Amino acid sequence: MGEVQTLGQVSLWSTIRAFLAVANMERMRLVRYRNWVAGYVIWPVLFSFGYIFVAKALSGPDGAALDAFAAFAGTTDYVGYMVIGSTLWMWMNITLWDVGFFLRQEQLRGTLESNWLCPVPRIAIVAGVILIKAVMALFLLTVSAVEYRVFFGVRLFQGNPLLLLLIMVLTVPSVYGLGIAFASLVIQFKEANAMVFLVRGIFMIFCGISYPMAVLPGWMQRVAAFLPLTYAIEGVRRAALTQVTFVDMLPTLCVLAIFAVLLPTLGYGSFQLAERHARRTGSLGHY
Amino acid sequence: MIDTSLSQVSWHSYLAAILAIAKKDALHFIRYPMNAVFRIIQPLIWIAPVYFLSLTFVVDGSNTGFAGYTGTTDFVSFILLGSILSNYINAVFWGIGYSLREEMDSGVLESNWMAPMSRGLLLVGRTVASLVITTFTSVAMLVLARLLFGFRATGSVLAAFGTLVPMLVALYGFGFAFAALVLIVREPNMMVDVLSYLVSSMSGANFPVNVLPRFLLPISLAIPLTYGYDAVRSYVLGTRTLIPVHYEVIILVGFMIVMVPAGYAFFKLVERRCRQLGTLGFH
Repeated sequence: MGEVQTLGQVSLWSTIRAFLAVANMERMRLVRYRNWVAGYVIWPVLFSFGYIFVAKALSGPDGAALDAFAAFAGTTDYVGYMVIGSTLWMWMNITLWDVGFFLRQEQLRGTLESNWLCPVPRIAIVAGVILIKAVMALFLLTVSAVEYRVFFGVRLFQGNPLLLLLIMVLTVPSVYGLGIAFASLVIQFKEANAMVFLVRGIFMIFCGISYPMAVLPGWMQRVAAFLPLTYAIEGVRRAALTQVTFVDMLPTLCVLAIFAVLLPTLGYGSFQLAERHARRTGSLGHY
Repeated sequence: MIDTSLSQVSWHSYLAAILAIAKKDALHFIRYPMNAVFRIIQPLIWIAPVYFLSLTFVVDGSNTGFAGYTGTTDFVSFILLGSILSNYINAVFWGIGYSLREEMDSGVLESNWMAPMSRGLLLVGRTVASLVITTFTSVAMLVLARLLFGFRATGSVLAAFGTLVPMLVALYGFGFAFAALVLIVREPNMMVDVLSYLVSSMSGANFPVNVLPRFLLPISLAIPLTYGYDAVRSYVLGTRTLIPVHYEVIILVGFMIVMVPAGYAFFKLVERRCRQLGTLGFH
C-alpha cells in the first residue's frame, strides 16, 4: 500500500494543492462580492473619461491647440493616446492594491500567521492569489478594448496586433514581479495605503500615462527610463495606433524582456527577505 | 450638583461623544504618519499628469484653447481648486458612509450604536476630525502647489468660503443618504470609488463641464455640486460661470435646505429596518 500524501508533508503536490486552494479561495471571494467584477467593467471607461475631457478642454472649442499636442505626441488622436496610458496604469494600480493588500488583509484579519504555519512555500500562497488576479487583469484588458471601441471609437488593433500581444506578454512578469516586491514592502512597513499611493504615484508621474515623455524635464526622463511601464505604454501606443515593424520596436522589446527577468527575481528575493525578517522579529501579526 | 456623564443623554454628552470620536480619528491619523503625508501629496500626484498634459497644449506660452471654454488660461489653478473642493466633498459626502463600513468591518458598529447617542450625530462626529484634517492638508497642498506649479488666486477667497458653507452642509444630507445605502449594500468600497469619481468628474472637478457631449451635459447640470465648483472658481479665479453666479449660490442654499432633512429621514428609515432585521453586524 502506497504512502498517503497529505498537506502536512512538503512536496511538489502539496505545494500545488496549496496554490490551487488559495486560488480557489480568491475565486470564491470574487463570486461572493460580485460588485468587484462590476468595477473591472466600469473603471476603464470612467478613468479614461477624465483624461479625455481634460485634453478636449485644453484643445479649445475649435481644436486650435491640437497642433501643439501633435508636435509632441506625433498624433492628434488624443483619445487613443489617453486610453492606452490610463489602462496600463490601471492594471499596475490594481495589481498593487490586490497583491500588495492580500498579505496586509490577512495580517489585519489575524490569519496571516496561521496560514504561514502551513508546511508549504509561502510564495505558493502569493502565487495562488496572482493567478486569479492575472485572470481578472486579462478580463479587464479585454473589456477595456471593447469599451474603448464602443464608447470612444478607438481601434486598438489598427497597428500591429501581433507586436501588441508580444509587448503585453513581456509586460506581465514585470507587473506581477513588482506586485510581489510591493507585497513584501507592505509586510515590512505596515502602512499599505501610503505604500500604494507612493508606488502608483511614481508610475503616474513618470511613465507618461497622459502625456508624451518629451514634455518632462531631463531628470524626470532619466527616472522614467528605469520604470517598465514607461516602455510598455510607449510600445503599446506605437504597436496599437501606428504601423510599426518588429525591427522598429526591437529596442523597446529588449528592455521589456530584461525587466521581465529582473523584476520577478527582485520580487521573489524581496519577499523571501521580508518574510525572514518578519519571522525573526516576530512582527508578522503586528499592525 | 449632578455630574453629567455619557450615560445621561444631554447636549453635553452629545458634544463629549462627538469630541471623543474626533479625538480617536485624529489619533488614527497621527498614528500612521506616512498616510498623513500622503493626504497632502496624493492630490498633487493626481494633478501632475494633467499638468504635464497641459504643457503639450501650450500655444504662444499659454493654454489659450482652455481659455476658450473657461475664460482663464490658468489651467493649473483651475484643477487645484477642483481638487481641494473634492477633498471636502470626500470628507463629508463619502466619509460618512465609509466610516460606517469601517466600523462594520472592525465589528464595533453594534456596540457603538448601543451608546445613548443619536446615530446621526455619531456619523457627524466621524466627519469633524476629517474636516479639520482636510483644511490643514489643503493649505499645505496649496503651498506645495504654489512652489511646484505656480498656483495663484486672483479673486475673493472669502466669497468662495461663503459658497462652500451651504454646499458642505448640504453634503451632510447626501452623506446620511449614502450611509443608509451602505447599511443596505454592506460592501460599498467599489460603489464609493465609482460614485465619487463619477460625481466629481461630472460636476467639473477636473475639467469645465461645457466640454461634455450634449447627452451628458444635462446630467452634469442636474448635480448641484457642479454649481459649487463653478461658483468657487468664479470667485477665486474669475472664470466664466454656467449661469449667473448669484443663481448658483441660490441653488446651493436650496440644495442645503432640502437635502439635510431628506437624507437624514432616509437614513433613519433604513437604520430602523436594519435593526428590526438584525443585519447591522453583517458584512
